[in-house]
Amino acid sequence: MALSGHNISEFVLTVFRPLVSFTIVLAIWSAAALSGVVSETLFPPPWTVWSAAVEMWNAGTLTPDIRISVERAVIGFAIGASLGVLLGVVTGRTQFFRTLLNPFLTLLRPIPAIALVPVAIVWFGIGEGSKYFVISYTVFLAVWFNTHHGMDFVPEIYIRASRSLGASRLREFLTVVVPAAAPHIVSGLRLGVALALLSLVAAELTGASSGIGYRLQEARQYIRTDRMFALLVLLGIIGALVDLAVHRISRALVHWEQA
Amino acid sequence: MTGPTVQTPNVACLRPPAPAAALSRGHVAIQDVEIIFRNGRNETQALAPVTLDLEPGTFTALIGPSGCGKSTLMNAIAGFVFPSAGRIDVNGVPVKGPDPEVGVIFQQYALFPWFTALGNVKFALKRFGLARDELERRAREALAETGLAGQEMKYPGQLSGGMKQRVAIARTFSGAPKVLLMDEPFGALDAQTRISMHTLLMRVWQAHRATVLFITHDVDEALVLADRVYVMSRAPGRIIKTFDITHTRPRSAADFDMEQMRMRSDIHRLLRPPDE
Repeated sequence: MALSGHNISEFVLTVFRPLVSFTIVLAIWSAAALSGVVSETLFPPPWTVWSAAVEMWNAGTLTPDIRISVERAVIGFAIGASLGVLLGVVTGRTQFFRTLLNPFLTLLRPIPAIALVPVAIVWFGIGEGSKYFVISYTVFLAVWFNTHHGMDFVPEIYIRASRSLGASRLREFLTVVVPAAAPHIVSGLRLGVALALLSLVAAELTGASSGIGYRLQEARQYIRTDRMFALLVLLGIIGALVDLAVHRISRALVHWEQA
Repeated sequence: MTGPTVQTPNVACLRPPAPAAALSRGHVAIQDVEIIFRNGRNETQALAPVTLDLEPGTFTALIGPSGCGKSTLMNAIAGFVFPSAGRIDVNGVPVKGPDPEVGVIFQQYALFPWFTALGNVKFALKRFGLARDELERRAREALAETGLAGQEMKYPGQLSGGMKQRVAIARTFSGAPKVLLMDEPFGALDAQTRISMHTLLMRVWQAHRATVLFITHDVDEALVLADRVYVMSRAPGRIIKTFDITHTRPRSAADFDMEQMRMRSDIHRLLRPPDE
């Protein structure tokens, strides 16, 4: 199949541009390491980071670390997202719960995940429960906030049309209110996925014995900056891949053109 | 509610199965209706007291300058807002809120963008509790009636303004309303599309014969479509003049006779701002 002009430019945009960006960053990184201005212990060159990654892979800790961390993020996300959607629907559509819960939830929003670590340890100990708690809390707030807004701003004309067409309140909710709010809910969920990964490291400060966050802590104790960098890059790659996947899924869910 | 009707299949007909056609006309009685909006301590009279009757099966146009309260009156008949004084009855029953007996067609179409054209029409038919096949068949029939055969699976975002309003017309008529309220439905369309929409609306309306209240600020549109035209004054709106139009349909603004021309200039004169 011949590439048309449009396809070539699209190819350049999606593959070539990031490649250029990575190459330039790697080059600057290598140059900085080779110049000897910065200590190799504090700022390891790319090839040392690479061999640290290979070392962890060979030690057999890398795969289980990724698995347990992803599992924590997924479970924490599932709990936080379902609670967030549920409560967002309630506070967005009913005046009573809005008045009751909004000020409280607004107060919770500025509290960062890491501030919950001591509470999580006291409440749930150092088991998996405290990790799920920290992650689901962060996800919950973002998902609740977006769902609430989506529900709150369902255009009045859709409600009028629906009622004039004789839809019951239940049918109106399921086939008008929810789809009308769907773009907001989905963007809340997308933000939630990103936050689940972001709060993962905080969650693993609650006394974990495995996971990417734990391995970062361990590397700190031995001042293994090469391992730290490898783990940070790994976090970045996982996050970017997950966001790409979630973006695809959300576009399939909210496939229609916005009015 | 009408039961499922037995009909010979494969009969090409524009008229839908409507055994209750003669009954499906609504009488709208508006008595001393006044609407005041309160915003904090401010009170705005959106509609001065109005009394009028819409006879069953008639097509009435309401024309007036922007902000005269014609849309407010329509919203009150639709049950979207409530009169501050007076009463509105549809077939002798006071309006208590939106009702499928009173269909509404909005200028902004109000189609659900997450449903296809077919899905939008099905939404209106759901209230009849039809079997799945029957629901599908009637929805397709309604779209074919408004000239949208073959466009069933398109989403509103993929349709032009005129086609969106065709879907909205098919959707609203599917719900078999006895009264049909149209709030400047063709206001956002270009002149050419508007004329074809007039022809379409006349055809569909003559098949279904709901009682229509049509709000517009286009004088020719009112004269082409309506049996009766009410002219409203500027805010707070009152009805200042009534024109009865007995000319046979279909009518065209290009072929107006002397009487229609005279009505046209009379209405334009009534609508003209006082300082001109």
